[in-house]
Amino acid sequence: MVSELGELRGAVRDWCRANIPADWRRAQTGVSEEEFAAFQKWWFQQLRTQGWAVPHWPAEWGGGMSVAEQAVLYSELAAHDAPRLVLQFVSIHHAAATLLGAGTDAQRQRHLPAILEGEIWAQGFSEPDAGSDLASLRTTARRDGDRFVVNGQKLWASGAKHADWCLLLARTAPDAPKRKGISYFLLDLDSPGVDVRPIRNAIGDAHFCEIFLNDVTIPEANLIGAENDGWAVAQQTLGAERGLTMLELAERLGNAGFAWLLEQCRQPAIGGGRLIDDPLVQDKVAALEIDITALRSLCRSVIDKHENGTAGPADASVVKLFYSELLQRTMDLGAQLGGLTAHTVLQKPLSSGWESGAWALDFIGSWEWTIPGGSSEIQRTIIGERGLGLPREPA
Amino acid sequence: MSAGGAVPMSDAELRDELRAVARDLLGSSRTDAGAPATPGWPALADAGWLGLEVTEDLGGSGATFAETAVVIEELARSAARTPFLGAVALGVGLLDLLEPSDVRDGLLRMVAAGEVRVAVAVRSDEGFDPAFAVTGSHVTGRAEFVADAGQATRLLLVAKDEEETPVVVRVAAEELAITAQPVLDETRRFATVAADAVPVDPASVLRFQGDPFTALRRMRSRAAVAIAADALGVAEAMLAATVAYAKVRHQFDRAIGSFQAVKHQCADMLVAVTVGRELLDAAVDALVADDSDAPRAAARAKAYLGDAAVDVAGKAMQLHGGIGYTWESGVHLYLKRAMLDRALFGSPTTHRRRLAQRWI
Repeated sequence: MVSELGELRGAVRDWCRANIPADWRRAQTGVSEEEFAAFQKWWFQQLRTQGWAVPHWPAEWGGGMSVAEQAVLYSELAAHDAPRLVLQFVSIHHAAATLLGAGTDAQRQRHLPAILEGEIWAQGFSEPDAGSDLASLRTTARRDGDRFVVNGQKLWASGAKHADWCLLLARTAPDAPKRKGISYFLLDLDSPGVDVRPIRNAIGDAHFCEIFLNDVTIPEANLIGAENDGWAVAQQTLGAERGLTMLELAERLGNAGFAWLLEQCRQPAIGGGRLIDDPLVQDKVAALEIDITALRSLCRSVIDKHENGTAGPADASVVKLFYSELLQRTMDLGAQLGGLTAHTVLQKPLSSGWESGAWALDFIGSWEWTIPGGSSEIQRTIIGERGLGLPREPA
Repeated sequence: MSAGGAVPMSDAELRDELRAVARDLLGSSRTDAGAPATPGWPALADAGWLGLEVTEDLGGSGATFAETAVVIEELARSAARTPFLGAVALGVGLLDLLEPSDVRDGLLRMVAAGEVRVAVAVRSDEGFDPAFAVTGSHVTGRAEFVADAGQATRLLLVAKDEEETPVVVRVAAEELAITAQPVLDETRRFATVAADAVPVDPASVLRFQGDPFTALRRMRSRAAVAIAADALGVAEAMLAATVAYAKVRHQFDRAIGSFQAVKHQCADMLVAVTVGRELLDAAVDALVADDSDAPRAAARAKAYLGDAAVDVAGKAMQLHGGIGYTWESGVHLYLKRAMLDRALFGSPTTHRRRLAQRWI
């Protein structure tokens, strides 16, 4: 087993050396959205030739790697500064988990091979008045025979302007209690009545989108799970998914983010010497290394527990909360160590990780982890209530 | 489980069983200071905890430090007042690194049976640099803050011989000047151990297997991990107590645990305990496997848990409100124990500095 992992590590390493374009960072800095999307799709196909695009999927759909193998794959990709799969993140994780966990055979056959061919997905969950209180969403899907007619507005759909399909939560029973009246749909974004508009975010790019839905028709066949059961289906499929997405991010933080932080520390300090010679810097860097080591271990433990059925109800929230705030602490230290120079980097390469080496921008960008996907406050509430059994806040 | 049991206790299931037995034994009665009463030394011997790492032919169970770490954690969870740190966490660990001899084997056999208690004469913060010296047939030296020295019948002095080679000298307690050094954490005992030209016979000078400096570095890691396990037990106990209290204590007609300000702090406590457990498990595994990463894994666990346990116990005192500040509640016992754990065998900053050495 250990030697098999060693072989895999060697194979990934050799492949990375031969196949990662040497100049991709420079080439991906300041490029157009279209060039970014084309590069992402190309890189996805490169990984696919090796069976590394969707290692976490079941073998019959093109995956089949163990958790230990995935950790090796992700750590080597990160250590060789491979581009990340940014555009396909929702497709290979959230969409796939939903289809595998709750989809029909026909839905899986229709979409899983298509995702491998490059079909891109976005997530249409949040709305202007339904953020942390997602279950209060107001987008409606009115049944009309064997189809639904959808009206409403979605927000924060990352990558939607390049997406072909969208995971959609909409209200199908307006009079039911708020969690009981929601259904889960697969929405073809080419449908008439769909209007996608980018929103510029705090670091200046525009991958988040608004989606306006005006009398959009969804056939009944694109319902996921039972009508009005969408909330439970989404909780179940996406909660379980969280641990898997974090494995790659943890290895990325450990093998690329931390390595660059050390590189930053070895730069000459103003007034002589190097930053790492300062005991205060040593202390802060060591504290982060401890946290990052724990995160990597924790991600593997949580996935193992998920696979052998012993996962706790708040495990995914613990990982998400710890990762988000650790990413933020790491980027903050990078920005501090980078000094004024870090402020002169005005663009980060697209296709890079959350830690791109552009410390100041990455620090700003780290709020993209502490706010979306259930903010840190929501995660703490979930941990308190589901993990520790503390009473709910009275309504 | 009993001393001399034939079942090897090396897998996770048996460790869970050990934990369950320990929790049962340690949680059975409480003192008036709010903490569970600690079973006496014969009960710990009967439970097989003293001989976990003693080989079966010497009356132990041939287990590993992983099992000892479970016991340490559970003892800490009940804020136990027991010389397990000096006698087993350090004492048995040190004896296991020595060349077999009649003296060493006899000590291990008697420790497992609960017939003698040992303590290791090293200062409990700086680690294992020898504080004693053997000259001719005498040993001289002095160490402060020796864990559980006052409760020991035999002292193991970490000393240098005349060739400056580290050795271990067995000395009976009555031949030494042992002066108690009371500390704020009343669940622990320390003493100064002084030897002024105490006569030693050659058989009492015990040599390390292999390189003595490597062995002492291993002890340094082991001590740090043992204290990290203690800190985790303290943090777990305080998390459990706080969550239980937050469910029953009502203010403003609500359980206080329903307030986000309380709930979110409990969530942070759980995150700290969860992260700490990952680091402790990694450190224990590395130590048992004698992995090359063991010193670093030990430093990570001790640095993280040293800070985290104080933070968690401090939150526990805060969230218990006025009652938490009373002597009777016992929260102070855990906060003081966490503070002492933070200081024992290398502070968090010391361990982080050690970790940083390879990046310089």
